[in-house]
Amino acid sequence: MTGLLDDTRAALNRAIDVYRGTEDGERLRQVRTRLDEPLRVAVAGRIKAGKSTLLNALVGERLAPTDAGECTRIVTWYADGHTYRVEAELTDGDTRQLSFTRDEGVIDIDLGGLPQEKVNRLLVTWPSARLRTATLIDTPGIGSLSESVAQRTWDLLSASDSDAAADAPADAVLYLLRHLHSHDLEFLRTFHDTEASQPNPVNAIGVLSRADEIGVGKLDSMTSAGKIAARMATDPVVRTVVQTVVPVAGLLAETAATLTEAEVARLRRVAELSVAEADALLLTADRFVDRMPELGITSTEREELLNRFGMFGIRLATSVLRHRVASTATELAAVLTERSGIGDLNHLLRSLFFDRRDVLKSRSALAALDALTRAAPRPGSEAVAADVERIMASAHPFQELRVLSAIRAGWVTGKSAVLDDLEHVIGGAGAAIRQRLRLTDDDGHDAQRAAAAAALERWQRRAENPLTKHELAVAARVAIRSCEGMLAELRRAS
Amino acid sequence: MAMASQPAGKEAVARATAAVSAGVTACAAYDRPDLARRLELAATSLAEPSVPVVVVGEFKQGKSSLVNALIGANVCPVDDDVATAVPTSVRYGEQQRAELISGGDPPTREPIELSDIRRWVVESDPVAAAVEPEPAGTERGRPVGVEVTLPRKLLSGGLTLVDTPGVGGLGSAHAAASLAAASMADALVFVTDASQELTRSELDFLIKARNLCPALVCVLTKTDFYPHWRTIAGLNAKHLRELGEPPIIPVSSTLRSQAAATGDTALNVESGFPELVTFLSAQVGGGAAQRRAATAAGEVATACTQIEAQFEAERAALENPEQAQRVVTELTAAKDRAAALKSAAAKWSQTLTDGAADLTSDVEHDLRGRIRGVLAEASDAIEKSDPADTWHEMESWLEARVAHELIENYTMLRDRAIELSERVGEHFREASGGVLDAIAVRNPEPMLVGAKIDHKIELERMKVGKQAMVALKSAYGGAIMFVMLGTLTGITLGPIALGIGLVMGRKGLRDEKKRQRGARQAQAKNAVRRYCDEISFVAQKDSRDTMRAIQRQLRDYYTGLAEEFNTSNAEALQRATEAATRTKAERTKRLADLEAEAGRLKQLREHAMAVTS
Repeated sequence: MTGLLDDTRAALNRAIDVYRGTEDGERLRQVRTRLDEPLRVAVAGRIKAGKSTLLNALVGERLAPTDAGECTRIVTWYADGHTYRVEAELTDGDTRQLSFTRDEGVIDIDLGGLPQEKVNRLLVTWPSARLRTATLIDTPGIGSLSESVAQRTWDLLSASDSDAAADAPADAVLYLLRHLHSHDLEFLRTFHDTEASQPNPVNAIGVLSRADEIGVGKLDSMTSAGKIAARMATDPVVRTVVQTVVPVAGLLAETAATLTEAEVARLRRVAELSVAEADALLLTADRFVDRMPELGITSTEREELLNRFGMFGIRLATSVLRHRVASTATELAAVLTERSGIGDLNHLLRSLFFDRRDVLKSRSALAALDALTRAAPRPGSEAVAADVERIMASAHPFQELRVLSAIRAGWVTGKSAVLDDLEHVIGGAGAAIRQRLRLTDDDGHDAQRAAAAAALERWQRRAENPLTKHELAVAARVAIRSCEGMLAELRRAS
Repeated sequence: MAMASQPAGKEAVARATAAVSAGVTACAAYDRPDLARRLELAATSLAEPSVPVVVVGEFKQGKSSLVNALIGANVCPVDDDVATAVPTSVRYGEQQRAELISGGDPPTREPIELSDIRRWVVESDPVAAAVEPEPAGTERGRPVGVEVTLPRKLLSGGLTLVDTPGVGGLGSAHAAASLAAASMADALVFVTDASQELTRSELDFLIKARNLCPALVCVLTKTDFYPHWRTIAGLNAKHLRELGEPPIIPVSSTLRSQAAATGDTALNVESGFPELVTFLSAQVGGGAAQRRAATAAGEVATACTQIEAQFEAERAALENPEQAQRVVTELTAAKDRAAALKSAAAKWSQTLTDGAADLTSDVEHDLRGRIRGVLAEASDAIEKSDPADTWHEMESWLEARVAHELIENYTMLRDRAIELSERVGEHFREASGGVLDAIAVRNPEPMLVGAKIDHKIELERMKVGKQAMVALKSAYGGAIMFVMLGTLTGITLGPIALGIGLVMGRKGLRDEKKRQRGARQAQAKNAVRRYCDEISFVAQKDSRDTMRAIQRQLRDYYTGLAEEFNTSNAEALQRATEAATRTKAERTKRLADLEAEAGRLKQLREHAMAVTS
């Protein structure tokens, strides 16, 4: 894997020499710097899809402001750093440091009189272990009523083939879907693999967000959300653009990560009511705020609870407390986290993005390089292009990614069980050996070796079978190399 | 304002009903069964009105729950995942019944169980339904709608609630279908939930819908679940300002259902539904009822005018025997004019024939232009991309684009047809005014009043859509359905044999890639062209059929009127001729009779005139 990153860096170095002294040279240096930085993951989706809330849940802190109305209007980067700092990058290229305050954790940035449309992006530097793994990019929603806000997101994410490609800011994207919407798909397609000019699911995960609202407050909402997400993930169109879809109740996850004992104490008062009384109180949000003043929670506190938990969260939390499934803030937070689905998302992020960060970062860099050599050829740039092509064509991880997108695009056809096996073996469900071989954590070294050998034999047979279709046979050869790679890795480990 | 007009509307209908039934008796007494028949029709439309109110909105905003909560029955299936796929209409009926309407030529209807509706109305599997065509050879056509009747007080005024599939973005074929439905509706209920403010595509849809159906209410659902619904309502009010500030009614279907289950009236008030019910009742009892009452009253006044006309002529002859000969002469001349009014050479008839021909060709020209535009856009898009990647999107884009062009084309047909209908009416009134004037030689004044009413009613009629709109209701149904059923699905791009070349991503393959891409592009363009050809063919047939139906309706209507005038004229002529031969004593007696009859007619007319005042 490091080999790939080194190769990419070498290609970039050569390109930097070729483009020295031009604007492109400077840009390539930035691309090279990026190779050593954390993976950049954009959180994108339609307006009010819950992007900022999810971002907070991922960081585990309430950083990004959230509100009932449209909220995020400027692209905001959250990156790890030594100090707490907010900078604005202006449209004319200047940067300016901004002052900010924190209101119950939420960063309130003072634009200092800068008009919004003059600000290209905000960069929030925040010491955080989570941000060390990935820089998160919060985006304004598409489908906003103010056109310029939506345009920003398009500009950010739809890096066109030519000059902007070198600056394609995100290596991977979490796409928040509320319902399947034609706009959503159009949006997803901006993450084209420039090399194959093909919508590519390799760097996108779909998140069915605000999952707690799907049943409009019923306690089995998350089950429904799970079914919907599973259904969406099998949609052939969705499959061509995201790897999979998971339901996440962002608000629940965000609150769980920042839950306080005081909040639990208030919820406990509601939980101590009889079921009938609690049901009557929780019938509507208005009632929860106004009724039963004798409870000893002020209406401001109740409104705050609603903001933090939502109706579903309050119903769930009080029911958990009543049945003594949890009693302390820590215990309740654990239950809410588990129910929110954020764990599944984190797991996916790890196996699909973070475990593959070198591949994804190389991919971004090579795509930028490839676009540049085509758009602005110079003496020597042909050699750079050849480098890019060689790496793209020979690096096994790229071949895996290509086969994966070919399966998703419907080019490689076959029995669904076979394709499923293929997807796993080439790392479609995660790059780790256990994931590739569909083994559990209990399976030890020998079991893995046996499974890998079996997979190798299986795919050799398929590759050599004259009845196997040409496309599948080519894909099978990639699978064989994946199996050989696993066996080699296992040998090294033993 | 809307609330105040509710009793007014009901009262107007009651008064109109009384006037019409008196009118029927009068027509029978004066031996004018032709006029009586017209009034009986008016009585029927008063007694069994239909006020379609269409419920529209994006996916999963709670439209079906809203309809269920409104009528207090679980008619429209509600589910966390699957969405409504075909419209369900709910109207009044003494029996609880449900009928499935299936597409095909002609559409079929079959009774189904209320509990079975779910099977037909929801998407079986949203993805599969969108991708796979209905298996061929199924017995019935594809379900296109469900009609439910329920014994509910709310519906008894003629209110017909139509639950529609989610719009799914303005640029979708469903949006076009919703807009088509909106153009037929008396009122539009736009549903959006309190989870977020209105989006761009919702607002775009509202702007279009409002032009087609001005009576609009925006319902904010799920207020029990979203604590910030007041903020959202405020934001929405701001967005709707440019739309003439339609009312925003926040509701909670959950509360309403619970209130119904427990009989808790306070809870019902809290649910916000009473306000919505008031709005709907105002639509039924108010504007729509007023229009119906006015139309019926107008019919009564017209009948009075015609009967009066024959009496006036007779009275003129009786009062003044020296004048009798002149009356007879004038009436004879009028007879020719009345006959001419009936004939194909009459100006209104010419206007209708020419206008219909012009309109048909204009609409076709318009459609051709639009389809050509779509084709050009499609070719452009195909040229810029590889159909292998984009064909799926291309399909839905094309369907949506075509559906919208059809709607625009249909709107043009509708507007122009109404205009034509008004012009024909105008010409008929000009000519018939002359006829009536001639009949009532002596006392033209009541005629003038009559003509004025007539005029007003005619305009009203065109707006409520009695004439042209009936035909329009079925218009373009075929073409839109055609678009929505996705005939493109049958068109494949052939096996995509390039795949693995790309998989290995070698530069050497680029030329081959390019060649194959070119072939696919040509194939795709051909497919699009074939599709557009078929659409044009179906749409053209639809618009011609519609135009023919409109023309036939207008012709029948005015020919009928001309026939009545003719009868009135003949009657008047006969009476005037008789008058000339009567003795003085007979004349005096007859005059007294006539005086009494005129008094009665005057009273009847006054009743009719008072209906809408």
